Amino acid sequence: MTDTTDVWRGTLALMILKTLDTMGPLHGYGVARRIEQTSGDRLVVHYGTLYPALLKLEQEGYVASSWGVSENNRKARFYRLTAAGRRQLVRESREWALTTDILDRFFGPARS
Amino acid sequence: MRRALGWLARLLSPVRRLRTDEEIAAELESHIALHVDDRLQSGMTLEQARSDAWMKLGGVERTKDEYRDQRGVPMVETLISDISYGIRRLRQSPGFSCVAIVILGLGIGANAAMFSVVNAVVLRPLPYPDASRVVRIWHTPPPEQFGGVPQFSVSPANYFDWKAGVTTFAHMALYGLAADTLVGHGEPVALRATTVTGEYFQVLGASPLAGRLLNTGDDDPSRAHVVVVAEHTWKGRFGGDPAFVGQVIRLGTELYTVVGIMPDAAAFPEDADLWRPLVWRPGEQNVRGNHNYLVIGRLRPTADVRAAQTELTTVSQRLERLYPEDDKGWGAVVLPLHQDLIAGVRWELLLLLGAVVVVLLIACANLANLLLVRVLGRSREIAIRTAIGASRGRLIQQLLVESALLGLAGGAVGLLSAVGTVRAIVGLFGTALPRASQVGIDGRVLAFTTIMAIATGLLAGVAPAWRMTRGDAGDALKQGMGRGGSHAGERRVRNTLVTAEVALALVLLVGAGLLIRTLAQLQAVNPGFDPRNVIAMVVGAPPARYPQPAQRVRVFEDVVRRVRAVPGVVSVATTDNLPLTGGSTQPLAIEGEASRPLSEQPEVAVRIMSPDYVSTVRMHLVEGRDFTENDSLDRPLVVIVSASTARRFWPNRSPIGQHLTLGLISPEPREVVGVVSDVKIRSLTAGDTQTIYTPSAQAGRAFLAVVVRTAVAPQGAVSSIVGAIHTVLPDQPVLFIRGLDEIVGASIAQQRFTMQLLTAFAALALLLAAVGIYGVLSYTVRQRVQEIGIRMALGAARIDVVRLIVVEGLKPTGAGLVVGVGVAAALGRLLSSLVFGITPHDTLTFAAVSIVVVTVGIVASLLPAYRATRVDPLHTLRGE
Repeated sequence: MTDTTDVWRGTLALMILKTLDTMGPLHGYGVARRIEQTSGDRLVVHYGTLYPALLKLEQEGYVASSWGVSENNRKARFYRLTAAGRRQLVRESREWALTTDILDRFFGPARS
Repeated sequence: MRRALGWLARLLSPVRRLRTDEEIAAELESHIALHVDDRLQSGMTLEQARSDAWMKLGGVERTKDEYRDQRGVPMVETLISDISYGIRRLRQSPGFSCVAIVILGLGIGANAAMFSVVNAVVLRPLPYPDASRVVRIWHTPPPEQFGGVPQFSVSPANYFDWKAGVTTFAHMALYGLAADTLVGHGEPVALRATTVTGEYFQVLGASPLAGRLLNTGDDDPSRAHVVVVAEHTWKGRFGGDPAFVGQVIRLGTELYTVVGIMPDAAAFPEDADLWRPLVWRPGEQNVRGNHNYLVIGRLRPTADVRAAQTELTTVSQRLERLYPEDDKGWGAVVLPLHQDLIAGVRWELLLLLGAVVVVLLIACANLANLLLVRVLGRSREIAIRTAIGASRGRLIQQLLVESALLGLAGGAVGLLSAVGTVRAIVGLFGTALPRASQVGIDGRVLAFTTIMAIATGLLAGVAPAWRMTRGDAGDALKQGMGRGGSHAGERRVRNTLVTAEVALALVLLVGAGLLIRTLAQLQAVNPGFDPRNVIAMVVGAPPARYPQPAQRVRVFEDVVRRVRAVPGVVSVATTDNLPLTGGSTQPLAIEGEASRPLSEQPEVAVRIMSPDYVSTVRMHLVEGRDFTENDSLDRPLVVIVSASTARRFWPNRSPIGQHLTLGLISPEPREVVGVVSDVKIRSLTAGDTQTIYTPSAQAGRAFLAVVVRTAVAPQGAVSSIVGAIHTVLPDQPVLFIRGLDEIVGASIAQQRFTMQLLTAFAALALLLAAVGIYGVLSYTVRQRVQEIGIRMALGAARIDVVRLIVVEGLKPTGAGLVVGVGVAAALGRLLSSLVFGITPHDTLTFAAVSIVVVTVGIVASLLPAYRATRVDPLHTLRGE
């Protein structure tokens, strides 16, 4: 377990938005599983942080939720991206790209 | 903006939630189900999959908690759940809860009761519109003649000049006190009458219960036969007759029409039975040097007390210049009426309120100790909760909610007990407490009690909550159940609390002790007369029936003769004012000294007495002779002076045969025929009051007190004595039948009241402190059971074990003793105005109180010590 990392809280919201954008409506477990798989199982999503984050996004109007039935016939709450969430995702991704770009310049090989 | 919306949603969510608890539970359940399904597919056993899911969830409780925190405003949400959890926990340990609630109930109950009294007497304004503008005006007499008398009643002429000379007053009124005899409703009874000038009720701004109050114009002599009756008199004497207003009643020989009923709540003076217009005797309005009336006023909205004072001082100075003969040195003082009425009890009441707050602090410390012990017993539970992620703030909040709940329950119990306590206090204080009838539990008392209850609970909970959550969770887990509190730190906190309890209790005990000693000193004061087996009663020979002074003198001589014939009566006499019940002060001129205006003449007390008064109350004739029946109206005027009067005016020589003049009574000189020993006539605490006695037979008073000494306790002879009086005065009420010892008792009633209440509070404090010592030692014994077992196994005798525990108990007791003595000594100043005959640092009191405290400390230790000796060494050793 030494090679796994806790999700950095600030980035969790962005990952959730991106996941919902890519996958369409998804229940909480699905979102967590998808994020872990995408990271190649190097990230561990604590559900104790996942649900509060989902609720926060819902309160801010970026996601909406409703009860539905999962692929294996389990009752589950499904989350989907709203229009505001899609705009927020674009904004956040741009910022994220900018941040990683800056950090790359610090840690990457020197470019003259 | 988005963030703001999110916050708003959370704020509103307790009302319109995004998620209910059930939904959260359902969502987490479905999550686990999905997780388990997933893991089963990848080849795990059901068991493994479940445990994996639970582990991954990171504690359902915590997730739920955080989820909830995100969902609503956390404080509100968790508060509600903490309250229901707290109630559940308190119900799980009814023993602990009961003890805690009783302890708090005692403390809060005493506070609620005392606050009810202070609230009604001191805090609540008088029941009149703009009551702060109602004031009392007193004369301030010249200090040279009236040493130590700060305020004096008012003369008619000065009142009229004040009223005419001020602009700061909307209304001013003068009133006098009289006794009226109500005739025609069963036995004749005496009613307390207030005779008032026209604006009296406008000054108060009071409203009648029925009919109307008196107005300007009612005091016109031609229209003055109207009366306002007090609610209690209307109900008590007239059966609450609904058609009472308009009826005619007979007071003495005069008929009065009832025009209105005054509600008791707004009555002033409080104990008045009726109000009627004041009718001046001819020429009385011009009397300036005789001060027999009281004055109240209502300030204009634009004026304050200071402006009124300035104005009255100016007027007084003008009067001094205009009428030096009467007014030299006489000033005026304006006091808010409320302040004036409660001046005698205000300090005592605040002191007693302070005392009950101390009692509550002790109760609070006790509860803190109980909570501490309880919380230490829960340290494992708390450690587990910390380990699974409960935050420290949450735990503290929950513990405080629990102790605040205890506070509220204690407050409810306290409020119930306060109802009875208030009644007891009012009964105990009796007439010594102004506004006593208004003492009760109102909204303000409820609010005070509630706040007090919550604050007490929180205060008691702070130390335990802090101590407990500070500990290292792992440590507590390792130590196991019930052992979490064996640290020296915990013991120190508990001992500090008990030390504080002992110290506070000691301070109250010292206060109570000082007042007990004061009362003993007061009772040991020789009043100059022997009050045992003496009974006194007041009776009148109304001038309407006996217009001539000589007739009245004869009536009273008849009364004395008849009463003397009653079996068991040793001697009988009459006087105008019994000792310790007030009376007249008059200017005096000594023959042979330069004549001075009345206002500059020395003032002495003047009393009337009949022959045999000296022997009846057992004063001593020092020199000369007693009055005889020959000292009558047609004989030369004579007086008897007290020894202190003789010493002052005729130092080093005999006053017998000397002459003096009592200028306000008459200009004729009076010969001194005797000297008697001094009597405490003003108060037991005052020094000798210079007094001059004139013979009853030369005064011709309409009302006199008949003083009777009987061979045995006089109560059995009362009806025969009253019967004997009625043979002379058949339709006159016999008033104020009191033993002289009762009068002495009444004169120190207020000191006794303060002493009794403070003693009760101190006893309560001591009891609570004893409970505190007991509680801590019991816990210590439980903790040290093994150590004690080992000691006993190694041969320690039971007495050694007892000593071990008692010494343990004496540590906080001793520390509390030292601290308490220091604090009590520092606070002594507060009591200096209340003690008499001792200093506030009275060694005897401090020593006695210290012995009491140590004794109680030892007694409180004995039960836990005894329990320690019952420890079975084998059992405890095996236990580990």
